[in-house]
Amino acid sequence: MVGALNTYVTPSGFWNPILWLIAFLISLLLAYIIWSRGEKSYKKETEQVKPFFAGNVIESKERAHVRAHNIYWGFVEALRPYYMALKRIHTGDVNDYVAWFIGVTSFMLIIYFLWGVKP
Amino acid sequence: MMYVLLALYIIAAPFIVGALGILYGMVLKGIDRKLTARMQGRVGPPLRQPFYDVLKLLEKECIIPENAVKWLFNAAPLIALAASITTLLYLPIGPFPPLFSGNGDLIVILYLLEVPCLAILAGGFAAGSPYSTVGSQREMVLMISCEFPLAAAIIALAWKYSSIYPGLKAFSLTTFVNNPIWNNVGVLGFIGVGILLIVMLALSTSGLGRLPFDIAEAGTEISGGMLVEYTGRNLGILYINDAVRVVVFATLINAMFFPYKLSPLIANYVALPLAASLTIDFLFYLFKVFLIAFVTVTLMRVAFPRYRVDDVVKFYWGIAGLATLAALILIVMDTFFGW
Amino acid sequence: MTEFIHHIPALIIVIPLLWGFATPLIGRLSKKGMYAWVVTALAITEALTIAQIYLVLTQGTQVYVMGGATYNTTIPPDSGGIPVRIILTVDAFSAFMAFTAATVTLAGGIYSITSEEGTSGESMYYTLLLLMLSGMLGMVMTGDLFNFFVFLEINSLASAGLIAYRVGKGISVEAAFKYAIISSVGALIYLFGVGILYGEYDALNLAMVASRMQFTGLDKVVMALFTVALAMKAGSVPLHYWVPDAYGKAPGAISAILVTASQASLYALFRVCFSLFGLGSNTLTTGWFLISLGLLSMFVGVTMALIQTDIKRLMAYHAISQTGYMLLGVGVGLATLGTAAFSQYGLQAMEGGIFHIINHAMYKGLLFLTAGAVIYRLGTSDLNKMGGLAHNMKYTTVFFMIGALSIAGIPPFNGFASKLMIYESTYLFNPILSIIAIVVSVLTLASFVKVFHSAFMGPKLYDVKEVPKAMLVGMAILTSLIILFGLFPNIAIQYLVGPAAKALANQAAYISSVMGGA
Repeated sequence: MVGALNTYVTPSGFWNPILWLIAFLISLLLAYIIWSRGEKSYKKETEQVKPFFAGNVIESKERAHVRAHNIYWGFVEALRPYYMALKRIHTGDVNDYVAWFIGVTSFMLIIYFLWGVKP
Repeated sequence: MMYVLLALYIIAAPFIVGALGILYGMVLKGIDRKLTARMQGRVGPPLRQPFYDVLKLLEKECIIPENAVKWLFNAAPLIALAASITTLLYLPIGPFPPLFSGNGDLIVILYLLEVPCLAILAGGFAAGSPYSTVGSQREMVLMISCEFPLAAAIIALAWKYSSIYPGLKAFSLTTFVNNPIWNNVGVLGFIGVGILLIVMLALSTSGLGRLPFDIAEAGTEISGGMLVEYTGRNLGILYINDAVRVVVFATLINAMFFPYKLSPLIANYVALPLAASLTIDFLFYLFKVFLIAFVTVTLMRVAFPRYRVDDVVKFYWGIAGLATLAALILIVMDTFFGW
Repeated sequence: MTEFIHHIPALIIVIPLLWGFATPLIGRLSKKGMYAWVVTALAITEALTIAQIYLVLTQGTQVYVMGGATYNTTIPPDSGGIPVRIILTVDAFSAFMAFTAATVTLAGGIYSITSEEGTSGESMYYTLLLLMLSGMLGMVMTGDLFNFFVFLEINSLASAGLIAYRVGKGISVEAAFKYAIISSVGALIYLFGVGILYGEYDALNLAMVASRMQFTGLDKVVMALFTVALAMKAGSVPLHYWVPDAYGKAPGAISAILVTASQASLYALFRVCFSLFGLGSNTLTTGWFLISLGLLSMFVGVTMALIQTDIKRLMAYHAISQTGYMLLGVGVGLATLGTAAFSQYGLQAMEGGIFHIINHAMYKGLLFLTAGAVIYRLGTSDLNKMGGLAHNMKYTTVFFMIGALSIAGIPPFNGFASKLMIYESTYLFNPILSIIAIVVSVLTLASFVKVFHSAFMGPKLYDVKEVPKAMLVGMAILTSLIILFGLFPNIAIQYLVGPAAKALANQAAYISSVMGGA
């Protein structure tokens, strides 16, 4: 129907990027029209523009930035057993790397001997 | 000539669905606040309160924090609202097929549901404040947890359709609307699809960021979380975006599980002209959207307290995830044993 | 003129090789001359790969006999029916991989002009870069099993040298050492397999061995050796441990080009499964092997990436995870080969996996180049020490955002197009595969949001300038292809990916192009 020229078809669905992009830009225009009727100005260089710290005193900008290892605490905590096992496997020792290779090769040798070729 | 009409159609379509989403979304917000208040023993604000709220927000100063990345901070609410409006273009609105049907299927909608959340949390990160950072990464954790049952539900239903109707496009919403899922399953499948419906309703609540899953904007824990630095017209746009997303989620559930029309029932007794039947179906659609919004937003809000962050992950990847996989197995068994 | 066209496959391999050896001489004369020399070599190779794609689309599989009487006398009249020379067999899949490798190396080469400026031994860097490119192109275009080993070794040694380029107090050298050990183990086991096949069938040419394949017990041994060794070189779980070390410590552009080097090994894995063993083997077993590797790689790769605090190690784990998507797509195609399901969804699953190869090279290359840009300005790759770069480095931020949105599969970028194809064809094989793929996609988004916040957002902590123009040009080349393939995926499917998938699945056509239609 609309835009059948550029529709990307998969076995069970379809997707037309150009049409979406046009619709997105028009929606962006609609949102911008609503936005532009708002108040543009604010008092700069006052207490208002300082980041919100709920009354705590922060000495320097470095302390105000949440560091990478603190992010996603909830997710890592919920999957704790999985992550502990995973970190234990990744040792960094080359001997372990080659040991994994030998292990997987032997496993696949058995699999291919049993089911590798059509009978 | 046809190309001119086509171009006009493409340009007008976002405005049509945008108007529907924004206006009806704010009406739903007003009804939600009134009903919540009544359930909590209060009088509650008038039904037009959300409109007053937006107008007030547009009048206030729009403060940009000094550590913020200004272009991203201002662009994020606009991108969120624009993406939410485009999602409505691929969903069937009442008796009308999607305005862009044939150009986007369920997986497209699945990803487009993520884009507004992603834009808002990028805005939260761009604000440069620790509270908004913590809120944004909590929203990301919520998105991660929701994706597993949501993907499983959609794939389960599409798999069922592909096994019954191999000639149709299984992910296309037209397939869902023309062949309601309840008519196509046996007893086992009925239970499975019922489980999926409950999971999808819970996913709507978390997709909208409402209690019990509003960890990103937790008022009492992180003082507004993601949105803490947003004021004025930016917050007004985010408010409107929230309203549109209620309509989006409710329309999605309506299309996937309850694509029924009222007019064939009435047409048994009274002969209806086309305009009347379309109007009746559209009003029925609005009523269904209100019911779904009532269950997912209002009832959940007054009934449950807030989940903890890691408990949300354990809920969605534990209980809800297992329930969805069980539903998938039931649906597969339904196909192979045909009860 | 027509004579020149026939020599294109050989020229594609030979030009980087010879120009690479001339680079140190020119480097002694003038630095700027050397830069121009290298970029010219890369540009000519890129143009030739595009011409080769056109040739393969219009004239079918190209064969080139090295040192033969004419370019396509594959079986000399006095040889007794055996193709004795080294034969380059370029079908649509090989041409596709060559184009990918040449494009990423071109972007990386232009990027290196400023990112490696002022380091000692620069002419050696460019020599090794051109050697690495020649190795990759040889790997994907050759039709001879032993010749593949030779090019694999050229590629591995050049890469090891380049990984160790910035000595970094010995840490990069340790990473290169680990990479060299793993490469040697993989390559030697592969060579052992080639030796077994040679002993059985008296032939080294892939098409020849495929036509004489008997599937004896020794052949099953060879199947195991080949598939596992090549899967290790491609960097799939559970053999992936070398990837974060090697990618994480290489200089900026080299990490991007290492991605295509691993993809060349992935090409070899697919070539062995489809064209060497083909339908005589139990494609359900080999298919499920690839699918299992794919699922493990996707999930383990992305969950390990989520907890990293070093920007390049994080991206290296994502390279593992995205390789899983390619293995999943092509694995489903392999498992359904020869059945009715292949035409329903198997071919499309292969198309999705192969489309993902070029998409991944583009956006992963872009992300590694932006990581290199951040390290260039800050001098550290630790995410815990970065912050607030978006205030000054606007272009790098925008390029990073485009790369991150693509790898997460957000519409309308190219990652979404190939992932859509993979989801909507593998679910028909087994719904669980698609579910895991979608969950991995959102986890990918999560870890790049983490990098985005840690490095680019937050208060302005550092007063840095934007990176030099050459680096931005390198990033822009890859971005333009990302946007092109995202907005017009049908172009990629019709001209690049579709013919590649059909050529890979068609073992008979591959054999007959060399053996002459018997």
